[in-house]
Amino acid sequence: MNLYEHEAKSIFAQFGITIPPGVRITKPEDLRKIHFGFPLTLKCQVLSGGRGKAGGIKFAPNLKEGEEIARTLLDMTIGGSRTESILVEPKVSIARELYLSVTLDRTRGCPIFIGSAEGGVEIESSGKVVTVPIPYPFQPYVARDLAQRLGLTGSLAVKVAALACKLYKAFETLDLDLAEINPLVVTTGEDVLALDGKIIVNDDALGRQEQFKGWQSKHLGDLTERESRSRLMGLNLVELPGDIGILCNGAGLTMATMDMVKKFGGNPATFLDVGGGSDQEKTMFALEIVAENPQVKVILLNILGGITACDDVAEALVGFMKKNPEAKLVVRLRGNNQEVAEEMLSQSGLKLIPDLQTAVGEAIAKSKVPTCAAR
Amino acid sequence: MILVNKNTKVIVQGITGKMGASHTKRMLSYGTKIVGGVTPGKGGETVHGVPVYDTMRQALAASGATCSVIFVPPYTTLDAACEAVDAGVELAVVITEGIPPQDTAKLVAVARAKCVNIIGPNCPGVISPGETLIGILPGVIFKPGPVGMISRSGTLTYEIALVLSDAGHGQSTCVGVGGDPIKGMGYEELLSAFNEDPATDVIVLIGEIGGSAEEEAARHIKEHIRKPVVAYIAGQTAPPGKRMGHAGAIISGGKGTAESKMKAFTAVGVKVATTPGEVVEMVAAARAQSVGR
Repeated sequence: MNLYEHEAKSIFAQFGITIPPGVRITKPEDLRKIHFGFPLTLKCQVLSGGRGKAGGIKFAPNLKEGEEIARTLLDMTIGGSRTESILVEPKVSIARELYLSVTLDRTRGCPIFIGSAEGGVEIESSGKVVTVPIPYPFQPYVARDLAQRLGLTGSLAVKVAALACKLYKAFETLDLDLAEINPLVVTTGEDVLALDGKIIVNDDALGRQEQFKGWQSKHLGDLTERESRSRLMGLNLVELPGDIGILCNGAGLTMATMDMVKKFGGNPATFLDVGGGSDQEKTMFALEIVAENPQVKVILLNILGGITACDDVAEALVGFMKKNPEAKLVVRLRGNNQEVAEEMLSQSGLKLIPDLQTAVGEAIAKSKVPTCAAR
Repeated sequence: MILVNKNTKVIVQGITGKMGASHTKRMLSYGTKIVGGVTPGKGGETVHGVPVYDTMRQALAASGATCSVIFVPPYTTLDAACEAVDAGVELAVVITEGIPPQDTAKLVAVARAKCVNIIGPNCPGVISPGETLIGILPGVIFKPGPVGMISRSGTLTYEIALVLSDAGHGQSTCVGVGGDPIKGMGYEELLSAFNEDPATDVIVLIGEIGGSAEEEAARHIKEHIRKPVVAYIAGQTAPPGKRMGHAGAIISGGKGTAESKMKAFTAVGVKVATTPGEVVEMVAAARAQSVGR
């Protein structure tokens, strides 16, 4: 779950990291109530990246222009994410910019600090990035090591190391996938503060992080309406530009089915993993949400049962066909209780295809039939 | 075969839960030596004839087990797996899906320090066909034979094992390493284990988009693996920036694409299949060649 900048900053503050004073506004007129004095920085609050490049950060020299700018920013959509609000901050006098983040390193299998002695947009390509693996359990020497490797000395090294410890504490306590400060600013008064930040909360940890209870529905970003509903049902749906709705159990098999459809000349409209131990209610929901998509001409259901019982899937299918008699289905079903499932479905006139490649071929053929003629 | 065989004694953690109990039954009927189960507070009960203990220490002392398979809920998995490591298992297979990755990172650190192997999390487990099944794989699909399989996916492993078995290419051992970004055993250790295993002639590696484990595996194959490897990568047509079912299956910032992984394998002489059917053809060719040598 991606957080807005203002939310990330309030988490930084919660863990003792200094942030600039700021006020969040949702109407241009709200600027009149702000008493920081001009010039002010106005920043779109969006869930997507690339905000600066897209023109989502502006400086306002005075109130009149500020309101004009606020109006424009509030109307912006960046990378599919609508502006939620504007964060207004006074301009900070910057002596130096750094970069600092904590994330998980897939290759090493542990958290890492990533730091750079230069903050800014193109961190990865700057060639000045320092990576420090964080052993378990965490000790503050790792943060001191990071500061030293960034070339910092004296009181600044101490301040940055202390801040890095707080950032790690937030990362661990709140189950974050990413806690990033960019830029981490050293002011002319030698204070270190988080001028901008990004936080991603781990989705699997949301059930144990009280602080984020109920946040998910407001942080779905650029998901389509059906993708959002599926996410809230605990299903992974990705909508694609084609016309074949693909539902499978298991992520790898769903991807493989999607790849085969594409390879043999079809166009997937959905990627939907109904999960391993999928129950009837979820299977029904999955079928319905794929059928709802007006792009979908044919539904390809591919279930290879390990945990999934084929008769449960068949029952959901029978129910779905009763409600949607016009839907075109191609079903590959193999696994536990397969014979029972075959019996149930043959009564509804649906023939099971045991082999994946044949099923894919049939789905593609059906997707090429002009829709009106088929009905 | 690698890691497990018919003599491997196994404890089921979370044996009294719905999943734990039903899979204990299936594993027992496959012939797996399930010698005990653990559920705190349920010590003294039995599940399908298997004695239940309160702690892993008790279970290991009573049974001499060396392996644990874990079916506990995600937020208690770190606790359960650390208990298994501390009690002295050699291998812990973590089936549970949805474990926060920082918990997994902690588990990996603890297990490494004690030289304990972890498989998973979010995995189907491991099977040495005809010998033992530890996890949730459908045993009937797998047949004994000389193909070693390593996979990040569950049902896709079943799909490929199914077409391999149907074509007469049985398996020595199949290991599902799991679909999470942070995990225990990876490709490299398992490739090396299969390379040393006299019962394995061909290795099938089933990868998917996200991360760089396949690229690292390709480098490892070039330097250390002498047996033929056939690779398959799922997500060849996945859009960037979207999580494709597995927590680890995402192309981000242009990295982790199927194309990059397939290129890396091709560059080191690994045959790369684009469909499960092609895996069978390539395995057949590799086996024919190794017989000819």
